[in-house]
Formats: sequence, structure tokens, C-alpha cells
Amino acid sequence: MAASRTGRLLSARLLGTSTKQLVWPSASPFWSVPRRGYWRPGQPRERKWLWQRINFDFAKGVDGVRKNVGLLKDEFLQRWVGPEGKPLLEHMLEQTRVLWEFRGPESLNQWLVSSDREIGGRSEVYLKLGRNNNTCLLYGTLCSAPPRDGETRYSGYCTMRSEQLRASFDRKKHHDVSSFNTLHLRIRGDGRPWMINIGVENYFHHQRDDIYSYFLYTRGGPYWQDVKIPFSKFFLATRGRIQDDQHCLLLDKMNTIGFTLGDKADGPFQLEIDFIGVCNDPAHTEDFAYEVYKRNPEV
Amino acid sequence: MNTARILLRSQCVRCLAPFARTTHLQAVLSNGGLAHCSLGLSSTGVQQVHRAFHASSRYDKNQPVPSTLKGSEEDGNKDKSLVAHDDLFERAGKEAKNKATFNKVVEVFNKRDVRRRGHVEFIYAALKKMPEFGVERDITVYNKLLDVFPKEVFVPRNFIQRMFNHYPRQQECAVEVLEQMENHGIMPNVETKVLLVQIFGPKGHPVRKYQRLMYWFPKFKHANPFPVPHQLPVDPVDLARFSLTRIANDMDTRVTVYQMPYTDITETGEEVQEPHIVGIQSPDQQALLAKHNPNKPVFVEGPYPLWLRRTCVYYYVLKADPVPPEEKVEEYMDPELVGPQQSIHYPLWIDMDLQRDMGDDFSFNVDNVEEGAIYAMCMAGQGDQVTLARWIAGLQETNPILGRIPTVFRLESGPRELQDLTEPQRPPGADMEAEHSAEPDHVMEEQQLGGQRVKQ
Repeated sequence: MAASRTGRLLSARLLGTSTKQLVWPSASPFWSVPRRGYWRPGQPRERKWLWQRINFDFAKGVDGVRKNVGLLKDEFLQRWVGPEGKPLLEHMLEQTRVLWEFRGPESLNQWLVSSDREIGGRSEVYLKLGRNNNTCLLYGTLCSAPPRDGETRYSGYCTMRSEQLRASFDRKKHHDVSSFNTLHLRIRGDGRPWMINIGVENYFHHQRDDIYSYFLYTRGGPYWQDVKIPFSKFFLATRGRIQDDQHCLLLDKMNTIGFTLGDKADGPFQLEIDFIGVCNDPAHTEDFAYEVYKRNPEV
Repeated sequence: MNTARILLRSQCVRCLAPFARTTHLQAVLSNGGLAHCSLGLSSTGVQQVHRAFHASSRYDKNQPVPSTLKGSEEDGNKDKSLVAHDDLFERAGKEAKNKATFNKVVEVFNKRDVRRRGHVEFIYAALKKMPEFGVERDITVYNKLLDVFPKEVFVPRNFIQRMFNHYPRQQECAVEVLEQMENHGIMPNVETKVLLVQIFGPKGHPVRKYQRLMYWFPKFKHANPFPVPHQLPVDPVDLARFSLTRIANDMDTRVTVYQMPYTDITETGEEVQEPHIVGIQSPDQQALLAKHNPNKPVFVEGPYPLWLRRTCVYYYVLKADPVPPEEKVEEYMDPELVGPQQSIHYPLWIDMDLQRDMGDDFSFNVDNVEEGAIYAMCMAGQGDQVTLARWIAGLQETNPILGRIPTVFRLESGPRELQDLTEPQRPPGADMEAEHSAEPDHVMEEQQLGGQRVKQ
């Protein structure tokens, strides 16, 4: 009851695609749209069948075949060079890896940008390349006035999230960062505190909103800031609520990384990112920063 | 934790004989329960004789009630009309909106009815009114609000009640109080815990929420490597000094106040407010500026925003464009002073790469972003060219080369009104239209290290 009334911090979704239509909670056939996602109060609840959802278009089909066959060909040929096209020695011996960098406009296609406009708020967020096409600039305005739909209580967030890696034929691919233990970012913020959210591949349906988060405190100012966060510091939260049963972030199937701003300070913001990489800090031996045993102390 | 232990003992006594009405047992109960009863006395001020669990109580009406609030209460009771709880706060708020009036309103509600009818709605209304009265960061006020709940009534007495969310609405209300505490980052104290245990028992949702707060807050309290105090300096010069040292990234910087804010009387007799100008520069930046090529201009760029909790201050930067690689001058290093042949007694160059193993390479495979050197930063009350020119003139005293270098001002187009630093935090809904209309210009043109346009 309380969960439905309080506003939740949503994981970033592309503007416009979050309006999933829902069917009535009564028994519905398996081929109609299943009830999932966030339903914005006031939207009409339409019933869309499976064949209405899929876009049957010949040109799109041809493009899709071309793209996927190209990816498949790459996959077959890359493994002769090394895993994922990297030479084997480099893959084995590397101690740092750059996961995302922003060199050119096509790098922005890997990122989804979202704000609380989806739930009816008034924040704006934009993403563009910075000076000399070397960095990305996430900027906009935050407005924490909650939407007046009678349901949402808190508002005012802006996020940027990386897209899920895709192999050929839209299969999911994951980042394997198990040989590293620290996240390294080079950013230039304006003094606001951000939150880094890492999404990993889960097995169970109930874990779909599991996100591992940690804070990103920016200093502000004209100088670049190197931020190093060990993966052991990330705590588990579901839909914005920190969980009681904590466990360590598993690094072998990392899906997405995202940045969220929700610090209730209305006004313009900006964050400039140079690159996001992972490195291995040999001095860091911590497995997990929070207690794993069951904590229900008797008073 | 004496109170907690006494509490547990008294609870055990109650478990043994819940319905005993003998005077002997009542005496025992009253003795055992005196500790928390005294808490109740201090907060409500009403003389209450401790009662057995299901007995009625006698209370003393001798305590005076403030007349302004009392009169309307009696009218309301006579009419038997619905009195909205917001009303109480509005009436109290007409005189003054501070902690004293807020506490008075809560006390009036407490005295009105010992059963505290409608306490859930009252607490929700109080939570909404807290920011108006300015008490949302005060833990004593939250404890007082939690004290509004009647004690021991909502404590589940067997496993079935524990299983089925005993008094769910009240539990939700207490969780809301704790959630507002969490949103404002206020750590609860032991009085909160004792109150919650008295009201809901040790295994209810509010106590679990309290335990979560007490677990996670200490872990994240000092997570910020650049902490900002809650009370920022009010004086703009002090604030500028604080923020400039924060963004300077160098411990050797020196802050210079080039101009304090003062009122100047011009020839025509009108008063003009002159703004403050505070600048910062480090010896490294001075050395860099001394080596700057006089044929290339230096740029004054700004204003760039810097957020300190809820306030945004703006700073200006004196920088140069990045030097293209063909014009980079290799510095001549005297091999006797620097390098492997240097004097071993007074080394100027030390190669201390010994902590890394031969095979370790922790550099990233990215090209460094080419950026121009930053020579100085400043914060000024107004962002116009005249003020910044005064800053440059002040900088010239320590950097004489500035007299020969052309200075170009790359400021935002149009007059930019800096936010008044003493202005209280704007409520989230207010003047959004004004911001929105000004925002598009600012947002589209804002680039962290300015575009190629040159403005003078």
C-alpha cells in the first residue's frame, strides 16, 4: 500500500516508450499485452494484441537482416583474432579497460536519456557532445514539483543510462568486467551529487528492478575530476528502495550503467563525462562493504 | 538504555496479568511504568494517573490552554462540525511560524482528547506543514509528533496480530514520519526508538524502518569527499572564498579580495551598488601565465555554475585556448639540475615510479582531452564586463604580463542576473515560467569551455 502511494525512482527509459498499455487485472489471454511497467495515472488503458504491437515493414526487415547478418559475420571472424575482437594477449594482460568513451556522434546512440517528464514532471534533460567531440555533456533543468495526479508524491529526477549491448539477432550481450574491481570515471560536474546505477543480468523475474548503486559526488569547478569507486561499495536497491538482504555486485554479466540526479535542488545542472573505464586496484581487497548476514535485531 | 530495560520489564508484567484490576497489581504496574510515563508527562504536560491496560484514566484539567486556540475549539465541539487539522496550523501560523507555535499546536491537539481521535490525519497535516514552520530539520519536533500516538494501544499482543499488520494505518503514518526524517537526512535518536517501541512494539514496520535508518545513515554520512556544510556563510565575500578554495584543486592557492561590496555615489548623486570581486590564483598558475605567449589572447569565460546544496553560485575563469602541437615549446631543462645527472644532494627531479611493478600499466587507452590552461578564477557580485575588467586589473599587479596580452570576454549573451545569495530556497513550484523562458538561451549556449564565438 505504501509502495504504491510513494513515488518511485524509475530506471531510465527512453522518452515515450514507457507508456505501456495495460489490460484490466482480470484474467487475460497470454497473447495480449501483459501487465507490467509503470502506468501513468490518467492515461487510457488500451488493449493491444501482439500482432498490433509488432511493426511489419519490409524496409525495416531488410535493414534488420543486413545488420544482423553483419554482426553474425563479425562474431564468426572476430574470434580468430581474440575474444570480442581483442587480441588474446591484450585481453589476458590488460589492467584497465575503457568501457565507454565519447568520440563522435555515434557514441551518443549508446545512451538513453530520461527525466521525470514521463511521470508528468517538468524536468528537462538533454545529451550532446562536448567541445571538440571529445566528451559528452548531460545538461538540463531539474524541477521537483510533483505531478498533480493524486498518486505521485515525489518528483524531480534526470537520468542517463547506457543501452543494453546487443549481439546478432537482438540477443543480449553483457560486459564481463570480472578481472577488474574498480570503476574509474573522468567527469566534470557542477557540485551536485549524482548516483551511479549498475544493472546486472538476473535470473529471476523478481530481480528485474535490481540495481546496484553508489553516490557520485562532484566537486564542481573547471578541472576534471577522476572518480574511482570500487565495485564492493555498490549496494543493492530495488526501484529506489535499498534492500535488507545485501550481496556483492557480480561482475561477470554487467548490463547497463546509469547516472541519476535527484537532489531536490531545482535549477539547471550539467555533467560532463570524458570516459568510463574499469581498472584493477591491487590494494583494494574488500569483498563487500556491507553486512551480508541476516539483520533483524531484537530490541 | 535504562528506559528500554524498564520498558521491557513493564511489558513482561503486563503479559502476565493483562486484565488484573487489583490495586496491588495496579501499584506494581504504575511503579514499573513510571519511566515512560514520565516521558509522557514531560511532553504533554497533562497530569495523568497511570492506568491498567484496559482501564479508563483520570486526567487533570488544571493545565491552562492558550486562549486563542481554546475558544474556537469549544465552538467547534458545540457545533459538532468537522474541523480540518490544517486550520489549527493556519491559526497558529498567523502570529509567527516557528518551532514554538508548532509545538503549541501539537500540545493543543494532545490536550484535546486523551484518546487522540483523528491523530493520523493530524500527523499527516503536521508533516505537510513542517517546512512552512521551518522545523523540518529538528529531531525534537519529530519526536514530539511521534508522541501524539497513544501508547501501547497499537502493540500486537499475539502472533496473529503480529502477522496481520496490526493497525496498518497508524503504522503507515509512523513510517511516513520516519520517511520525512530520511528525506531531510536527519538521524533519529534514542528517544525516537523508545517512542516507537512503546507505540508499536519491537517488531512493527516503524521500528524496522528505524533500524534501517540507523544502519544505513552512519554508513553514508561521510561518503562525500567534498562535504558542504548545512549553514553556508551568509556574507557573499566569505561564500566566494569558500567556494573558490573548494574548486581550486590546489592547496597552494591564494584568495584575494579585489573589491568589497560598497555603495558608490556617482557625479549625478545617485547611489550605485558596487559588487564584490574575489579572485583566486595559485603559484603554478602564475608561473604558467608568465610563460604565456603574448600574441595569443586570454579569455574570460563564464559564468559557470557551482552548486552548494541548494544554492548556486557562479564563477568566471581566465584561461587560454589549447596550444596546437606545432607551437608547443619544449622547455629547456638544465641537465645538471634535472635528470639523471642532477645533483644528488638537491634533486629537482625524482623518479619515484618504484611502487609499480614492471608489467603494471594503469593508464587508460584514451587520448587526453586537449584543454587550455586555466590561469585564475574569480567570483563577482555582477557578471558584467566592467566588473571583470577590474578583476583583470587587480590580477595585473601580480601578473604584469597581462598588460601585454589581449583579453577577450566570452560572457553569456544578455544581462545575467545572479541569484541573490541571501534569498531563501525557492519553493519548487514558484516562478518556473520565468526560469523556463530564460532557460532555453542559457541551456543551449552553455558549454563548459565555451564555443568558438567571441563576444566583447
